[in-house]
Amino acid sequence: MNKSNATIELKNISKQFKKNTIIDGMDLSVKAGEFLVLLGPSGCGKSTTLRMIAGLEEPTSGQVMIDNRDLRELKNDGHTIAMVFQDYALYPNMTVYQNLEYALKIHKVAKDERQKRIENVLETLNLTKYRDRLPSQLSGGQKQRVAVGRGMVKKSEIFLLDEPLSNIDVQLREKARDEIQNLHATNQQTIVYVTHDQLEAMALGDRIAVMDQGIIQMIDVPENIYNNPANLFVAEFIGTPQINVIEVEYKDSNVLFNNKSILADQNLNLKEQKYRLGIRPENLFCSKERQNSQDLELTVENIIDYGRFVQLSLVNDEGLTLKSIVNTFEFNVNEKVFVHLKKATSLLFDYEIGKNLNWGNYE
Amino acid sequence: MFKKINLWHILLILIVLSAIVPILFMVSNSFKTLRDSYGTMLNLIPTHPTIKNYLLLNKQVNLLGLTWNTFLMATIVTIGKLLTGLLTAYAFRTYQFKGKMFIYLLFVATIFVPFTIVMIPNYLVISKLNLLNNIWGVALPQLCDATGIMIFLKTMEKIPNTLIDAAKIDDIPKRKIFFNIVIPILKPSIVSVGAIFFINSWNEYVWPTLILKDKASFTLPLALQNYISSEGGTNFPLAMALSTIMVILPLIIYLIFQKYILNSISNSGLK
Repeated sequence: MNKSNATIELKNISKQFKKNTIIDGMDLSVKAGEFLVLLGPSGCGKSTTLRMIAGLEEPTSGQVMIDNRDLRELKNDGHTIAMVFQDYALYPNMTVYQNLEYALKIHKVAKDERQKRIENVLETLNLTKYRDRLPSQLSGGQKQRVAVGRGMVKKSEIFLLDEPLSNIDVQLREKARDEIQNLHATNQQTIVYVTHDQLEAMALGDRIAVMDQGIIQMIDVPENIYNNPANLFVAEFIGTPQINVIEVEYKDSNVLFNNKSILADQNLNLKEQKYRLGIRPENLFCSKERQNSQDLELTVENIIDYGRFVQLSLVNDEGLTLKSIVNTFEFNVNEKVFVHLKKATSLLFDYEIGKNLNWGNYE
Repeated sequence: MFKKINLWHILLILIVLSAIVPILFMVSNSFKTLRDSYGTMLNLIPTHPTIKNYLLLNKQVNLLGLTWNTFLMATIVTIGKLLTGLLTAYAFRTYQFKGKMFIYLLFVATIFVPFTIVMIPNYLVISKLNLLNNIWGVALPQLCDATGIMIFLKTMEKIPNTLIDAAKIDDIPKRKIFFNIVIPILKPSIVSVGAIFFINSWNEYVWPTLILKDKASFTLPLALQNYISSEGGTNFPLAMALSTIMVILPLIIYLIFQKYILNSISNSGLK
């Protein structure tokens, strides 16, 4: 299949349900053939956004454009959008084959063509032997594949997926994720994928739009979302364990925590006020001995061994709790740890609005 | 095994007997002579079994005609109630419109209006329409039923929204969504509600007596009434024979669809 040419553009979209604003003046553009992930906590408006792109929900104001044409016009010329729902929404009275065939039949796709497409999709998704089963006779993973297959047979330029993997077992999820990635690589459709799972988002997205409270907080490629989040919300939402956040104050070229300097830099041009300092757990440099007068002194509260890495929970009597990830198992519970911070690997956020002030080397 | 028979079982056995005994009583008396039926009315096995009652009945009334009239009326009423009930329920389920709740409650409220209140106005309308002595006159005021709307709406509410959305994404026309997706899902409840509508209509008496005056247009219950209080006194075995004939079709319907009927009572038919 050729690369999809379909672009999606949301122009100043708002959506209200009764008096609640779900989406507030959103602009979003999805490039042709792009895999865009909408990521956010539940209730952030990501599913509503997807439903508006699908035409299932009318925006209260604003415009949904597909290929630079208004969605409402397009609906009438049989323009196809395929969508996979979280609960799969398979037609319960039809077999797997009939589920895939139904829309094609209604739209009068010739029988040979229909058969060819369906056999093909069944083959790709490993569903051939289940073709005559009813949805109630399938497992969760199989239903999910049928749902994806029903979207695929339409050969639509746009494919929308609403948390398609959230109802299947963890073991299967990774496999299903790879399948979706392969499908995109082969078919090059324009995909909008909704999820609340950051790992899924990082794995699948060409770009990720992180949403909260009906607003896109940041839209960028996965690396930037992780390394240079636009604000504190994005920083905290992405990454496990969560990013460490320390309330600090800037004074006389020093970053102070509880009036003690933890970082110093002569070249900073910052207002002297409060800030929030964010450090990813893997960027806390722990050692058993004090190497610098600015090192933070903490105690190991507990240790979790994840096999691949070890997570330390560090506390001190000033009420500070930090999570750190280390590769080696050289620390013990209740042992003292000295933590060294580096400007290059930490993020500075505005105290009030949480905006990333880009003080590191990511300019 | 006997230890397991407790008070509930005794109660259940009594309930079963109270349902089955009248039927056996009816069938057995229909095969008795008039004399036997007075002498040994309670005996379940006739002393001199005879089919004379049925033969006599066949001579006195047009059995086929009566059954056909009843069947036609019950079928029209059942189809009408199912169709209007399903469409109305689907509209309530799918569309948002002003005053929806109010209209729904108004519909449901009609369930509580006694038949005696609407009987006379309905009669006047039917007579103005010149539909007296006509099966359609009986059926017309009964083509809608709020009970059906209510039951179907409750079942439809269990159909996930995403299923309808999936069909919309596939650009399936509304008519086809209704007939190809919604109706098949509702099949168990349609069958069971339909069976109940059919049996109720089959047995209906008061309203048909008002409309159907001409013997040729009679339904089975009206003909039966003639045997119970006609001027010449009651010919009991004859009445029982007609009753037996009248029960056959509802019984068959019930036997065929009992799986669905029980299913829709115990669950909605949707997993």
